[in-house]
Amino acid sequence: MKEDVWIKTACDQCYVPCGVIAHRVDGVVVKIDGDPTSPQNFGKVCAKGQAAIMGLYNPNHIEKPLKRTNPKKGLGVDPKFVEISWDEAMDIIVEKLRKVREDDPKKVIMSTFDMSLIYEAMAWLVAFGGCPGVWMTAGFFCGAALHQYTYLTNASFHTFPDLEYCNYLILVGNGHGFGVGSKPNISSQCMADARMRGMKLVVIDPMCSHAAAKANEWLPIRPGTDGAMAMAMLNVLLNELGIYDREFLKMKTNAPYLIRPDGHYVRDKETKKPLVWDAAEDKAKTHDADVKDYVIEGEKKYIVDGVECKPAFQLLKEHVQEWTCEKASEITTIPAETIRRIAREYGEAARIGSTIVIDGEEFPYRPAANNQYRGAYTHKHGGQSALTWQLLNLIIGGLYAAGSHQGLNPVGPDNAWEPQEGPDGLMVAGSGVMLPPRMYEFLEWEEDKMPDSADLMPLFPATWSLTTQFHLALRNPEKYKIPQPEVLVHWRSNVMITGVDAVDTAEALKKISFQLSFALEIDETVEFADIVLPEPYYLEKSDIFIPTCYVAHSSDKGLWGWGIRQPVVKPRGERKEIYDIFYELSEKLGFREDYNMMLNVMLEAAGGRKPLPRLDPGKKYTREEFMDVGFKYLYGPDHGLAWFKQNGWLVKKRTLKEKYPLKFINLRVPIYFEHFLRAGEIARRVRGKLGIPLDDFDFQPLVGWKGCPAYENRNDPVYDLYVINYTSPFQQYSISPENPWLNEVSEMHPSVYKILINAETAARKRIEDGDTIEIESTNGNRSKAQVKVSQCIHPEVLGTGGALGSWCKGKPVAKGKGPLFNTLLPMDHDHIDDLSAAVDACVRVKIVNVIKKEKE
Amino acid sequence: MKRYGMVLDLKRCFGCLSCVIACKAENATPPQVFWAQVKEEEVGKYPAATRIFFPILCNHCNEPPCRDACPTGATTKRDDGIVMVDYDKCIGCKACIGACPYGARYFLDKERYYYPEGPTPFEKVGYKRHQVGTTTKCNFCTDRISEGKEPACVDACIAKARYFGDLNELESEVSKLIRERNGVQLHPEWETDPSLYYLY
Repeated sequence: MKEDVWIKTACDQCYVPCGVIAHRVDGVVVKIDGDPTSPQNFGKVCAKGQAAIMGLYNPNHIEKPLKRTNPKKGLGVDPKFVEISWDEAMDIIVEKLRKVREDDPKKVIMSTFDMSLIYEAMAWLVAFGGCPGVWMTAGFFCGAALHQYTYLTNASFHTFPDLEYCNYLILVGNGHGFGVGSKPNISSQCMADARMRGMKLVVIDPMCSHAAAKANEWLPIRPGTDGAMAMAMLNVLLNELGIYDREFLKMKTNAPYLIRPDGHYVRDKETKKPLVWDAAEDKAKTHDADVKDYVIEGEKKYIVDGVECKPAFQLLKEHVQEWTCEKASEITTIPAETIRRIAREYGEAARIGSTIVIDGEEFPYRPAANNQYRGAYTHKHGGQSALTWQLLNLIIGGLYAAGSHQGLNPVGPDNAWEPQEGPDGLMVAGSGVMLPPRMYEFLEWEEDKMPDSADLMPLFPATWSLTTQFHLALRNPEKYKIPQPEVLVHWRSNVMITGVDAVDTAEALKKISFQLSFALEIDETVEFADIVLPEPYYLEKSDIFIPTCYVAHSSDKGLWGWGIRQPVVKPRGERKEIYDIFYELSEKLGFREDYNMMLNVMLEAAGGRKPLPRLDPGKKYTREEFMDVGFKYLYGPDHGLAWFKQNGWLVKKRTLKEKYPLKFINLRVPIYFEHFLRAGEIARRVRGKLGIPLDDFDFQPLVGWKGCPAYENRNDPVYDLYVINYTSPFQQYSISPENPWLNEVSEMHPSVYKILINAETAARKRIEDGDTIEIESTNGNRSKAQVKVSQCIHPEVLGTGGALGSWCKGKPVAKGKGPLFNTLLPMDHDHIDDLSAAVDACVRVKIVNVIKKEKE
Repeated sequence: MKRYGMVLDLKRCFGCLSCVIACKAENATPPQVFWAQVKEEEVGKYPAATRIFFPILCNHCNEPPCRDACPTGATTKRDDGIVMVDYDKCIGCKACIGACPYGARYFLDKERYYYPEGPTPFEKVGYKRHQVGTTTKCNFCTDRISEGKEPACVDACIAKARYFGDLNELESEVSKLIRERNGVQLHPEWETDPSLYYLY
C-alpha cells in the first residue's frame, strides 16, 4: 500500500521554530507546508524553510562518527577524517572528558546556536561543571547590545513594534517584517498589513535593503552613526518641540530620581532608596513613597542633605542640547532638515496622552516606534547608541502601549515570568524569559572579582551577552589570566564563518586540545574537530522547546503558542540525537542524577511552577520519555507527548494584561543608567590589573554617541571605503548557501552573491558591473567577489550579504560563493564596545585588486 | 463556469522568494526551471533609488498564444482556464516557447540534478512528473487545488501578496481585489487576456 502521511513538526532553518507539516510519501519527504495552526507563522514558510527538503537529502552530509587522523589543525587544513564506530568514538570522548573533569571541569566550554536544545544542553554543561554560559558564535552582532537594552528597559529578551496599531515606524539597521530576524514569517505578514493600513515606514540603512525598498522613505546613512541621529532627534523632541510623555516619565521611569553632581542617585540615609522631589510638598521623598507631584524637569537645583541635585530627566534634556541636527547631519550624511522632520513626524505620530479602548479596557495609545537591530548598534560605543534609540521609544511613552515598541513579553503566560523589582525600584526580567537576565548581577559581586573562566564576565560587567568574551578568551587565555580551555563541545555554530577574523579564530581553535562536534556537514569549524558525531537533520529528530522566548512568544498576533519537533523520517545512517549523546555521556561519566536534576531546574525556570512529579533523578529517560515529562509538567497532564505529536501546537490567546502589561506593573525602567558608574569602576579595576584599556565614555549614565574606529578613520586615503554586511530573506545563515535551491536563486539574483558598490564610487575607481574585486581590511584579511554597481548603496560603503564565502570541501555547493565578510573584522579591544561587548561590524577596507570582467 | 486566476500585490511583495522555492518543492522542478520567479531591478538614482520586485509565472491566458502555436495539441486550456501541457503529446518543438510573450515556459533538454552525485530521493520521486524533451510550465498546482488547497506559491507567500480564486465569481477575493484596487493584466494590448492581475 502506498504510504501518504502529513506530519506536524517545526522547522529549524533559522533559530525560530515555525510550525510546518511535512508530507511523506513512501518514506520520502516531498513537501513542507506551513502549519496554519502555528502562531509562529500561520501557515507560511519562507524560502529557507521550503528549501529544507534539499538539505535533508544533501549527499555531502555525514552519517557516521568520524575521527581526525591529521594531528595538524588550521585554516583550510584537511583533518583527514576517517569513519569509526560509535563505541570507539564514545570511548575516546569519555576518556578525554573524564580527565578534564578531574582536573578542572571549567576547561570544558560549549558553543552552539541551537536555540531548540539550548536548555537541555546547558543543563548538561552545568551538571558536568563546565564553564558557565554558552558561546553563541555570532551573538556579538545581533545580541550583545540588543539584549542589554531590552533586558534593561523592557524586561524581556527582544524587541518588536506593535504592528497592529503602529502608524509610524522607523527601522534602524534592520529588516524586521521583511523576511529576516526573529519570527520572519509572522512579522512579514503583520508588516505588509500595517503598510497597507497606511503606517508610514522609514528605514535608516546604508543600503536599500528589502525593507528600505518597501519603505515610504529610505534614509541612507554612514555606517555606525545611527546613534548620532538619535541624539539629535532626542534634542529636537526634548528641547525644540517639547514632545515627551511627562506622565509616563514620572510614573514608569527613573526620570524623577534626583542625581548628585557625581552622577549617583541621591539616596535616603536610612533606606538607601533613591529620592525624588515632590513639588506638592516641596520636599524629597523616596521614589516609592506617596508622591503627589514628581518633579522631572526645570532649571531649579534642589538641595538634599546639603547636596545640590537635579532630576535625571532634566539632566538628560541639558545633556542632549549640544546635539543639533546640523551636527548630526555632518556625522550621518543625512540632511539636517530631514532629521528634524523625522523627529517631528515621529513625535506627532506618537499622540502622547491618547488612549485606546480595546475589548472594553483602556490602554495608552502610542502608535509610533523605532526598532533597531544589528546595524544600529554593533559598533564600538554601540551600547550607548542602542540605549539612545530606545530612549526615543521611552520618552514618547512607547513601552508596551498600543502601537508602540514592545518587548517580547515581560509577564509570560499566566504571569509565569513576572518581572521582579530589581535595585532602586527598577524592573528586571523574571527567570523564565530566556536565559538568566543578570543585568544588575555585578552590583552583588565581591570587590576583587576577576575573570576565572572563558566567559570573562568581570571584563564587561554590564552586558548580558558572553559571545565576544569567549572569542577573546580562546584567542588569548594568558592575557586574561584564565586557564586554557581544553575541550570544546560544539554544534550548529560555524564560528569560522560567523565569527570575527577567521585567521585569528583558527589560531584560537588550534589551541583547544579536544574538539567534539555534532554535525551534519563538515563545515569550516567542524574541520577543527577531533571527533565528529553525526547529528540528525531536523526532519529526523525531536525537540520539546522548553519555552524559550522564540517559541512561546508568538507576540505579533496576541497569542501564546508551544510546539513540538518530531521525526518525519528515520535518521540517515548512524545519526543519533544530541540529547541521547549527552545522556549517555552523563551516565558513562557518572553524573546522570545531576543531569536529571539540572533538567528539572531548567523545566522549572521555564515557567512550570506546577507541583507535578518531574524527572526522578535515579531513572533513565529516553528523548521521548523526557519530552513527555516536560510537556506534562509545563502544559498539564492532558498535554503530553502524544497530544503534541498529534496536534503540533498548543495555542492560547493572550489576555489584554499579557499583551499590554505595563499598566499592571508597578515598576520603573531606567532612562538614566546610574548603575553603569559602578560597572565602569569594576571594568576599570579589572582591566587595570590585566593591562587592557577602557574608554570611560561607555559607562556614562546619560546616553551619548562617539564614533567607532571606522568613523574616526573616515578620511583615510588608503582604506577609503566602509564595508558592511546585510541579511537577505533567502540568504541569511552560514547553512543557507549550501542548500542548492537557495544557492541557485542566489546565483540568479542581481546582487546577493556580489559586492555592492555605489555607481559614482565605481566610476571614480573605474570599476564596472561584473568586475571582480578583492578587498583588504585594516586587519590585513582579504575577501573577493564580483561587483554589482548600484544606485542602492551609500557612496562610502561596500555591501556584502549573508554568511557567504565558504571555502571547505565539505560544503561543495557553497564553496567559493560570494564574499566572506566577517573575516574582515578586527577582534581586539579597540573594536569592542566596552559596555555591551558588541564587536564592531563595520570596518574600513581598500580595494587591492580589480579583475576586469572580460579577462575572467 | 470557473476561471481560475491569481492576483499579485506588488505593494506587499518584498522579494523574499518564498514563492519561488515553494514552487520548486511542490512541483519538483529540475535545476534551471522556475515556474514561479521574482524579478528584481533597481530604479532611480542615489539617494532617490529603490529596488522593485516583480513576481512572474504563467499567465494562464484566456487566449493563450502557446496553445495556438502548438502543432500537436499538447497545450490546451481547461474549462476552468488553466493552461496545461500534455507531456505525452509534446514533441519538444519549442514553438510554444517562442509564442509565449511572458517567458513562462521551459524546455527540459536533459536530465539535471541538484547534486553531482545524482538525484536525491526527493528528485527520484518528483522528477517522474516531468519528461525530458518536453516543455513545462506552471499549472496553478492543479493537484493542490483539486484537494481544495491554494497553489503552493500562494500558500507560502509570507507577505500575503498572492491571492488565488475564481475570476468569474463576482464576490471572490480575487475579483474584489481587482475591482477595488484596479488590478491590471500584463500587456493587455497583446490580447492574450491573462488570468494574472497585478495590484500596484
